[in-house]
Amino acid sequence: MGRYVVRRIIQAIPVILGATFLIYALVFLLPGDPITALAGEKRQDPAVVAVLRDRYNLDDPFFLQYWHYLVGLFQGDFGEDYRGNQVVDVMKTAFPYTINLALIAIVIEMVVGITAGVIAALRRGRFIDNVVLISTLMVISIPVFVIGFVLQLVLGVKLNTDLGIDFFPVSFNEEAGLRSYLLPAYVLASTSLAYVARLTRTSLIEVMRADYVRTAVAKGLSPLRVVVRHGLRNALIPIVTFLGMDLGGLMGGAVITEGIFNIPGVGHQLFQSVYLRERTIVVGIVSALVMVYLFANLVVDLLYAVLDPRIRYE
Amino acid sequence: MRLTKTMRWTALAACTALAVSACTTSSGKKSSDGDAGAGKKGGSISVELGEPQHGLVPQNTAESEGSEVLNALFAGLVDYDIKDNSPKLRVAESIETADATLWTIKLKDGYTFHNGEKVTAQSFVDAWNYGANQANAQEAMPFFDKIVGSEELAPGKDKTPTADKLKGLKVVDDKTFTVTLKAPFSQFKTMLGYNAFFPLPKAFFTDTKAFEEAPIGNGAFQIDGKWEHNKQIKVKRYENFPASDGKAKLDSVTFKIYDKLETAYNDLRANNIQITDKLPISAMATVAQEFGDRYIYKPESGVGYIGFPIATNPAFQNPGLRKAISMAIDREAITKTIFSGTRKPADDFISPIIPGYRQGALGEVATYNPAKAKELFTQSGGLPGNTIEIGYNADGGHKEWIEAVGNQLKKNLGIEVTFKPFEKFGAILTALGEKKYSGAFRMAWSMDYPSIENYLRPIFSKVAIENGSNYGGYVNEDFEAALAKADAAREDAEGIKLYQAADDILIKDLPYIPVYTYMSSAAYTKGVKNVNVNAQGQMDLANVELA
Repeated sequence: MGRYVVRRIIQAIPVILGATFLIYALVFLLPGDPITALAGEKRQDPAVVAVLRDRYNLDDPFFLQYWHYLVGLFQGDFGEDYRGNQVVDVMKTAFPYTINLALIAIVIEMVVGITAGVIAALRRGRFIDNVVLISTLMVISIPVFVIGFVLQLVLGVKLNTDLGIDFFPVSFNEEAGLRSYLLPAYVLASTSLAYVARLTRTSLIEVMRADYVRTAVAKGLSPLRVVVRHGLRNALIPIVTFLGMDLGGLMGGAVITEGIFNIPGVGHQLFQSVYLRERTIVVGIVSALVMVYLFANLVVDLLYAVLDPRIRYE
Repeated sequence: MRLTKTMRWTALAACTALAVSACTTSSGKKSSDGDAGAGKKGGSISVELGEPQHGLVPQNTAESEGSEVLNALFAGLVDYDIKDNSPKLRVAESIETADATLWTIKLKDGYTFHNGEKVTAQSFVDAWNYGANQANAQEAMPFFDKIVGSEELAPGKDKTPTADKLKGLKVVDDKTFTVTLKAPFSQFKTMLGYNAFFPLPKAFFTDTKAFEEAPIGNGAFQIDGKWEHNKQIKVKRYENFPASDGKAKLDSVTFKIYDKLETAYNDLRANNIQITDKLPISAMATVAQEFGDRYIYKPESGVGYIGFPIATNPAFQNPGLRKAISMAIDREAITKTIFSGTRKPADDFISPIIPGYRQGALGEVATYNPAKAKELFTQSGGLPGNTIEIGYNADGGHKEWIEAVGNQLKKNLGIEVTFKPFEKFGAILTALGEKKYSGAFRMAWSMDYPSIENYLRPIFSKVAIENGSNYGGYVNEDFEAALAKADAAREDAEGIKLYQAADDILIKDLPYIPVYTYMSSAAYTKGVKNVNVNAQGQMDLANVELA
């Protein structure tokens, strides 16, 4: 298994390199000049623009600029943005928020989604199954920002002003700690949560028809043991795949949620940086996200072996 | 290696827990902004802010968010009256001139920087020399080009400065310095309240980078810690600020940084912040009812136009045609229905809050009159292909009103209208600058300092084609002469009259069509009082008190 892990890590190197190149090229090709973006709505003096363009080597051809960037990268230098901030520092401050948000979101997805799915599967065709089906359908069909704004207004503002319950902060607030993340994490998780519930339901129904489950029941095992050890364990394989892929997606997809709840994380930063044509920040963050994706995939693949011992890696 | 199943799951859970706790960001340190409304003297509040675009250096800040913070941290030579925007002395004891060219500035006693250094004449001269030097690439550089010797510090693109001190600045003694201008400029005193003219302490020049994150000013508030990007900027009362200027009443203020105005507004409603000086459009329908007299709604400095690239597109060169287009626009309907009252119909090139503004100065030109418009349009020979293209930036909520204008033109003048969205305002400016776009365009201007001159020269003069915001390429020698005459006026009142004469030329020529002027809207919670906003829609924080 060790060799398998090493091989996977080596495979990741060209992927990351390719990703930085693509992103760098894409941001480079975006119309609009980073120096004018920096000036906002007013025109800068041409002499000032020239000095700044020169300072950041913006008049060099694309490949030369990329080469400078790459050379810096190999020395562990992610470069600086056009305001003179170190990209590493920007990432260091932004990432923790998003990692927290994504992890809490994935926990919510797992707990709520799988539970709902299991209940729906075991009560197939009954009232509770229909409730799960309809509510997941609703969550999937409502855009995330609508869910976000509505929950913010109802749980953040109204609950506080009308009932005096100040449990869910309207916007991110360092002092409130974990509480600050609950609402945004739920919003972020909502769509995936619905998918997890449906996936669990279908997968479990399928597995519960299998011979070994019938055998387990015939052996006289308790229903709980049958469902959890024999049913759910086998049903989890597609769900784990989905969750693993989703972790990267959650981190990258936090743009909207972080905007609504004012969380100073990666999504927020990425949006701003694309807008301001901050190449170095965009490339840095996206490369980091690519790494998260690769790592999450690796973990998923390794988890298969835990769930189903017949799967072996050599 | 074999793990028992329980061990595997425990390990997984532990990993997750570890990751979560490792990422919990310093929630240990407790700050005092929670106790707003506690009723004690002093007290702390939080207010709304957007992330500033540059390091917090006065000479490099032109946008509203950075300026808001700098206005709390710095005190300038002059300040503007909150009611009529006339300049009044602040750090300056006197600003005198006999010929509007040589200006003598004397400073008051008692002002110090937050590190204890005294504010002297040298503090101003050093700051201005720094700002004027092209090698430092400060945004406010063009503001110094009226001072003698500026061309040596800013020789232009691809040239190197040959000096690092403005010849026109002379320190007489610790509290006196003189400024020599290249030509008379009657509005110079008014200009001095702009943040480009704030002083800098010696510490700035030794560590610029640190200063950008934690500026050392001479104002009523001093920075508390550092600018926490995308999160907050905290300031606290500066105890050694001269009482004559009015010490800050609050102990501290946290500028909470927001990405979306909607979120800030919700935080205001939940009393998590106490003041916001920007409201989202979505709040306009209910804010008056919800906040009552804690909702501030008053005219602001901005003016919105439809512009024409007169220099590059011959189709727009007939003033009669521009007049016809102007008269075909129903300003009242646009400001009411599309902007829900956050704008007012424009009736002068000058904002209503500026000394020298004349109500109804545009007269007939800005009065909706479809019949007359059509008649003028036909007389002027119309447009080639009977079509007009209007460009706008798609990022600032301009689509709706531009399309409304387009529909009115279509209906009232019987022309085809096409629209060209640009990604952002900067993209329009670049396209116009490089002469790649020749359609009509959306334009706006917000003042740097409250002078009538600031609404004329930077947008419509010859020098502004290269260095300023004259994107239309409008040139009129009479207008230039009128400006020069007004510049040479000995006193303000006389100057204003003469600038109005220049304004009259614009009203006749109509290089741009003024469509609306901006209204500023702010709101605050029950916890605070004495909240006021200035001409730029910014809070006057030093006077705010807990209620």
